[in-house]
Parts: sequence; structure tokens; C-alpha cells
Amino acid sequence: MSQVFKKGPISAEINMTPMIDVVFQLLIFFMLVNNISNEEGAPMIVPELEDPKTLEFGDRNRVVINIEPMAFSENRKIGDINIPGQASSLKIGIERYALDDMDGVTKSLQQAKARNDKVEVLLRADAGLFYDEVQPVMQAIANAGIVKVNLVAYLPEDVR
Amino acid sequence: MTQSLSPTRTPPEATPPRQGISEPPFLAADEETVHHTPYRKRHPVLPKPVTVNMTPMIDVVFQLLIYFMLTLNFVIGEGVLTAKLPTGPGQPNPQSKPPERPLNITLRSSGAVGCIIGIEGMATQSANFRELSQKLAELQYNPELGRQGAYKPDNPVVIKPDSTTRWQHVVNAFNAAIKARYLNVSFAQASEPGSETPGDQ
Repeated sequence: MSQVFKKGPISAEINMTPMIDVVFQLLIFFMLVNNISNEEGAPMIVPELEDPKTLEFGDRNRVVINIEPMAFSENRKIGDINIPGQASSLKIGIERYALDDMDGVTKSLQQAKARNDKVEVLLRADAGLFYDEVQPVMQAIANAGIVKVNLVAYLPEDVR
Repeated sequence: MTQSLSPTRTPPEATPPRQGISEPPFLAADEETVHHTPYRKRHPVLPKPVTVNMTPMIDVVFQLLIYFMLTLNFVIGEGVLTAKLPTGPGQPNPQSKPPERPLNITLRSSGAVGCIIGIEGMATQSANFRELSQKLAELQYNPELGRQGAYKPDNPVVIKPDSTTRWQHVVNAFNAAIKARYLNVSFAQASEPGSETPGDQ
């Protein structure tokens, strides 16, 4: 008898520690991934199309090239392209390149293609940029031996 | 009297009844006469293990977790149009077949944000990209869709914007060509702004 009751009633608490560990790991993972994908999705307004045929894209084999515009006001709406048409920066993934460093872009994409043959290039340029800011980048992509490029634009309203 | 004899005990009326372990009432009444080990000694109250209350923290952490999971989506509302790139400057993809006459779409910038849409060889301009798509569809030869134009679906279509055409118009023209079911759409190098017929390379 005394053995049974010595320690009082058995505590019915769930041990939370392993769960908290796991949750914290997940939290840190998502925070980091979020940070990286924020870098990839630089703030800009991509083209808004008439009757768009854009498709959603997967996450795999993706290399995002961002051509960022000059700073624009926060009130700029989708479809407003009245901004200075010059680009301000060029990024491949999270790496920044000089705007005239097209050889660097080509080299970086060649490396990406060597690492993964199925690499898909997403060209994300602001809707208001001049064509001659974007065209050299397309040329650089083509020079890297990548024949397909995915132009980023808004999805149709019903898919969004 | 009771208090002096048992100094370890506080008067029962002074303390609120302890939760969990209730005092047997008979002990308090005639404690001096009953000679046995006190209740307290037989059942020593063990110090409660010190625990931090995790519940609020877990709540907060879960909220954060859900927030980061939901905001993970790349950029919401954006999609892609897959384009083929010209492998040489301004050239459509090289093909073993004899080169076909490309269907050229010219885009000339007008004003700050405007754009004049034309099809090379056609006098009339398109007012918008829906109209351009319609015209391109009319030019296509595609018996399946009942189209009796001169250009096959795999005929190269080249978009020729001038250098200050906004990117939005370029992608719009591309989208129009895709919508008209052309399969081989590419981009030319930028021509000088304002030139009537954008220069060929």
C-alpha cells in the first residue's frame, strides 16, 4: 500500500518539450526560407495583361532574375507604368549584378545550367521598364544556352 | 493551548483550506489527547516541482509558425508566360526548314506610357492588344480552328519593340500572340525610338 501512495497521484501532464523543439525548428526554417523568397520577389509591379494567358509555376528548378525599377511610390497601382523607365538593379536569385554586367549574368546562368539541366529561368521585370533595359538580359539568358525563359506577369483575376 | 503544544501547526481557522489535501477534521479538535504521529509527518507535503507555464509560449510560437507558413508563397498572384529566346541577335530560332517569313509585330512608344501597335505589312494599327490578338488569329492558317490566314501556327512571330517601349506592352504583345495560338514567338533587339519601320538586324 505505502509503495503505491507514497508519491501521490501520478501526474497527468503531457511532456511538451519535444513538441516545442520541433515547432521551434519549423519556425526557424520558415523564417529563413521566407527571407530568401522575399529576396527573390523584389518589390515591383509586373505587367498586367489584357486577357492574360499566364500560368502558375512550380517551385522547383527555379532561378529568378529580377530587374528592379527605380524607387516608386507606395501608392502605385497595378497597371500603372508611368515611372522612370530605367532599371536600378539586377538580381539573380539573391545575388546582385551590375546593370551592364551581362557577361556575369551569362556566366552565372551557365553555372546554374551546369548544376541542374532542368533549370527554369523566371524573368521578373517591372511593367514600367523600357524594353532596352530588359532586352540585354534576355540576350544574356539566350547566350547562356537557355532557350526558354518564363516572363512573369500577373495571373488572370479568377486564378489570383 | 493547542497552538503552544503544536508549534508547527498554524491554526486551522487562519489558513484557507489547502487545495488538494484536505485536513481530516477530527485531528484538529482533539489533537492533545491523540498520541500518534501527526498527519503532516505521515504525509509530508513534498515541494511542488517548479515548472514554467509553457502554454502561452506555445500559443505564440504556433501563431508565428502559421504566419510564416502562409507568407511563404513566392509572390502571390503572379504567373509566367513561357517564351522562346532568339539564339542569335534578332533571329528566330534556327530551323532546318527553309526560313519562313516571320510575322513581325512592331511596338512604338508614344508619349510617356503609350504604345502604337502595328503588324509589319499591314497598314492599320491595333488599338489594344485584344485587337492585336484578333488580327493575329485572322492571319493564322489553322484549319482546326477554321482560320484561313497565311501564317502557320509555328511560323515565327517576332516582337519588335523600340527601346523606350514599356515592358508591360512587350509582354502584352507576347501574350496576344500566345493567345492567337502561335507557338514560336520571340523578341527582336530594341530599335531606335520613333523610327517608322523598326530596323532589322
